[in-house]
Amino acid sequence: MGVERTPKDLFFKFLKHLSLVVCAIACLLPLISCIFAAFKSSEEFAMTSKVAPPQNWLNFENFKMFWNESGIAQGFITSIFVMVVVICISVMMGSMIAYVLDRFKFVGNSLIRNAFLLASLIPGLAMQVTIYKMMVNMNLVNSLFGYIFMMAGTDVISIYILLQYFENLPVALDESAIIEGCTYYGVFFKILFPLLRPAIVTCMILKGVGIYNEYYNANLYLQDKKLFKTVSTALYTYLGPTKSQYEIICAGVLICTAPILIIFILFQKQIYNGMTNGAVKG
Amino acid sequence: MGPVNNITPTATANTTFRDWFIRPNVQKWFVIVSFAIIPVFMLLLFTYYPFLKMIEFSFYNMSYTKVRGFYGLKNYIDIFSKPELFSTFRISLYYMVGALLQIGLALYFATILSFKTKGSAFYKGAMFFPFLINGIAIGFIFKFFYTRGYVLDTVLQFLGIPLESLPYWLRDTTINNWSLVATSLWKYMGQNMVLFAGAIMSVDPTLYEAAAIDGANKWHQFRFIILPSIFTVLTLNVILSITGSLSAFEPPYVITSMGGNGTATYFIKMHQTAHVQYKVGLACAMAVVLALIIIIVTVIQKLAFKYAFRNATTETKVAKKSKGAK
Amino acid sequence: MKKTLAIILSTLLVLAMVTTAFATEVPTFDGFVLGTDYTDITATIKVLSHRTDLVNDGVFGAYVEEFNKVYPNITVEYEGLTDYAEDITLRLTGGDSWGDVMMLPASLEADEFSNYYTPLGNLAEMTEIYNFINNKQFEGTVYGIPSTGNAQGIVYNKAVFEKAGITELPKTPEAFIAALQAIKDNTDATPLYTNYAAGWTMGAWDAYLGGSATGDPDFMNIKMLHDADPFSDRGDATGPYAVYKVLYDAVAAGLIEDDYTTTDWESSKVMINNGEIGCMVLGSWAFSQMVEAGPNGDDIGYMSFPITVDGVQSASAGADYCYAINAKADANQQIAAMVYVKWMTYESKFAYNEGGIPINKDGEYPALYAAFEGIEFVPDTNALDSEATLPDELNTESALSLNRGNNEKVQKIVEAAFNQSQTIDEIMANWNEAWATAQTDLGVTVE
Repeated sequence: MGVERTPKDLFFKFLKHLSLVVCAIACLLPLISCIFAAFKSSEEFAMTSKVAPPQNWLNFENFKMFWNESGIAQGFITSIFVMVVVICISVMMGSMIAYVLDRFKFVGNSLIRNAFLLASLIPGLAMQVTIYKMMVNMNLVNSLFGYIFMMAGTDVISIYILLQYFENLPVALDESAIIEGCTYYGVFFKILFPLLRPAIVTCMILKGVGIYNEYYNANLYLQDKKLFKTVSTALYTYLGPTKSQYEIICAGVLICTAPILIIFILFQKQIYNGMTNGAVKG
Repeated sequence: MGPVNNITPTATANTTFRDWFIRPNVQKWFVIVSFAIIPVFMLLLFTYYPFLKMIEFSFYNMSYTKVRGFYGLKNYIDIFSKPELFSTFRISLYYMVGALLQIGLALYFATILSFKTKGSAFYKGAMFFPFLINGIAIGFIFKFFYTRGYVLDTVLQFLGIPLESLPYWLRDTTINNWSLVATSLWKYMGQNMVLFAGAIMSVDPTLYEAAAIDGANKWHQFRFIILPSIFTVLTLNVILSITGSLSAFEPPYVITSMGGNGTATYFIKMHQTAHVQYKVGLACAMAVVLALIIIIVTVIQKLAFKYAFRNATTETKVAKKSKGAK
Repeated sequence: MKKTLAIILSTLLVLAMVTTAFATEVPTFDGFVLGTDYTDITATIKVLSHRTDLVNDGVFGAYVEEFNKVYPNITVEYEGLTDYAEDITLRLTGGDSWGDVMMLPASLEADEFSNYYTPLGNLAEMTEIYNFINNKQFEGTVYGIPSTGNAQGIVYNKAVFEKAGITELPKTPEAFIAALQAIKDNTDATPLYTNYAAGWTMGAWDAYLGGSATGDPDFMNIKMLHDADPFSDRGDATGPYAVYKVLYDAVAAGLIEDDYTTTDWESSKVMINNGEIGCMVLGSWAFSQMVEAGPNGDDIGYMSFPITVDGVQSASAGADYCYAINAKADANQQIAAMVYVKWMTYESKFAYNEGGIPINKDGEYPALYAAFEGIEFVPDTNALDSEATLPDELNTESALSLNRGNNEKVQKIVEAAFNQSQTIDEIMANWNEAWATAQTDLGVTVE
């Protein structure tokens, strides 16, 4: 912005770039060292520096081993399936309740709002004992449906994002549609829902990442690891607390991270926009 | 409940039913009930019912499978009187400091990346990506990263620091909590940064020009234009980070094998109380206390922010209103 | 898919019930003859196991194959749980449909066994036939049969000991620490590898408190309950204090691995096999794994824990995880489960193959137990009937959870010794206090 470039300006500019470079290195170093390790044989891993690139970038042995033995392929299928279904359910449910809470004044409106707000403050993991008993009583343990039901049922964040987004959609939209003879259902499905796209993208990102990376419940509720493996449980059961060959661990970590990286690179813009549009306004 | 009474007289013919149904008041209740019932039911089922049960359990001396007897408030007294339980909140302080540092860094990078900078897309991506990585994977990555003589040590040696003078990142009790906090910062800083950057982007660029004419420097721009406009998202993130650090769980769980070597947070301790010592009643009481503390801290923060930024809030409200009008 | 499976299974069950009329009554463990009775029984049983390694690499599969030569119509399915102790408890709370056989978890107290498990037989009768059968019993009824038995000692590398100039195996804590020091001085090996990071390897130190430390079978389940300060220094290098002091002293003197927070269980096996580690304090089950971990299996030796009480050296010995059968399953399932469990204990040589003490008293001991020549195995006696659940209750109430997965407290000894933040006497005093408070809370008389 300054027109003149004094030495002081240049110095600050240098500092700015330096800080950016240092931060980027700090962010990427753990991953890069992981990539290096994944391509090394166990001897090479033991002998060479941990930040030295591998001698042979085409050594896919560790990846092959992890892929073949961990059942991660099945994990991908399950995780993606769960992800798609849960996202659909929670986006639908979230936008419906957000619509009701934002557009209608009724007894209990603020009660429901506060109930959701309070729920987001209660540490969820702490209630697992009761939730587990409940899931068993409903016969939902060891069933993909049960896991999906539970993951979709405990979602407060999507509701919040959607609620905030609704606040920014002018009420005039609804009113003109009603004058044209739309029912409230019509207003929601035909007019407002399509406009929610940015907020829905946000929910998809947050929810999608959350489910793709979820370990605790997947481990607990999808007990039969032969039938149901998610990405996280496959990773953990194979690498586990006792496995320690870092070159294989790193290969496993990379295989699980690669799809996310690809999606991230392809949809970077949408992801940032989604995150900010949905979460910032309000 | 209103519409239900009306059904009998009007439901005789389709046309009249339609007439009745599209009456705003009737419709309204149909919509409210049909749209809200499932989410509210799920909320009660998965949050409030278990929460009430948890409160009930907290008054008992019980294991998972056996109730040994009613304990009254003994579990709660234990939490505050046994130093090894409540004192673990001390560990949360590390995470709180980390959270504030994280927000500061995020704010800094968001600001400089919002203005024209070479390679800003790359930097943004590099900082944000860790947010997307699996927690289990992060555990493995950082065990590898911190192991003696491995990644971090090699890099620091590269910078000229001899290995002998480096600490053992996970063993030294003076530093290992910071090592864990760093992983949490690594994961969440970029996400905060993207949120802040988004908010800064929505600032009307003409404001900067006007300010420059008035002779404002970069700091003034930040203080009087940027900060007020991201006030909401900033407070939200501060609150989330602070409450998050009270229930910090993942770093010690996945990196220092369940909080060994003095890294056990309150949440880890709670987990161990339930799963290793089978004191489910006590663990439930700990959870109730944690929930209460989180709620109290949240309320205090909200009030504090309201008070500290009472001028800023009016500014943003005005700004928002003008935006809404456009 | 699950439904159809369930339908098929239940049809099979019904068929089985009809065809085998006697299948309605569940026998006791010794109430039938393997290979003769129930050979035509048809069932699919599910076994929950803590040995994920054996489930995954097909070792259990091979046993099942053998089993099916005798009982072709019993299908056995294994499920391995990664964090067994934690996961299994939650599953038990969830009702009766967890499967047919599980390894009885430490979280259950003795008086709860009958709510979940099929009685296997009478304690007095079974004691004649089996080792360590009193481990999971309540009021004279046995609910769990050990999968294998362990003696507690130290696995060590003979070549390292020789190189360090240790000619005689240490029999006292003092001699042991001196031996570790000799290893440090004369070799490049880590004298004692704690395996701190794995956690359970630390909790394993609790196993030495009974026989190894006191030579007294009544200590753990009878005397300790009424002892006001069981962790105090006895002054003669015996007792629980001496066990943990060995660990403390070894850490304080720098006789353990360099960075204990990043230890690694799998590679520790290879390292002791290679001679990079002098010894590790682990049960006899570990011996065969260390032998198989590399080419130098012959170097691996096993010795008793270095505590001598009145001139006699003893070793704690006891049951590993015990099999228990789901009492809420159909009778037919229970019988099939019983048959399988009995086959695993009697016929499979599982205990022998895993380097364990045989469960049936006339079973064969693996070669490693030669190391215990002249050393008496001292299994714990069971608690008195009048205080059957007291050991568990004290254990829970004091939060020490001895032998029940409280690895953290032993890890803390390592930390305190390393950082010199607490002395062993202070730590043991804290434990005594926790123990005494629990005794008061539970109204236990103290001698």
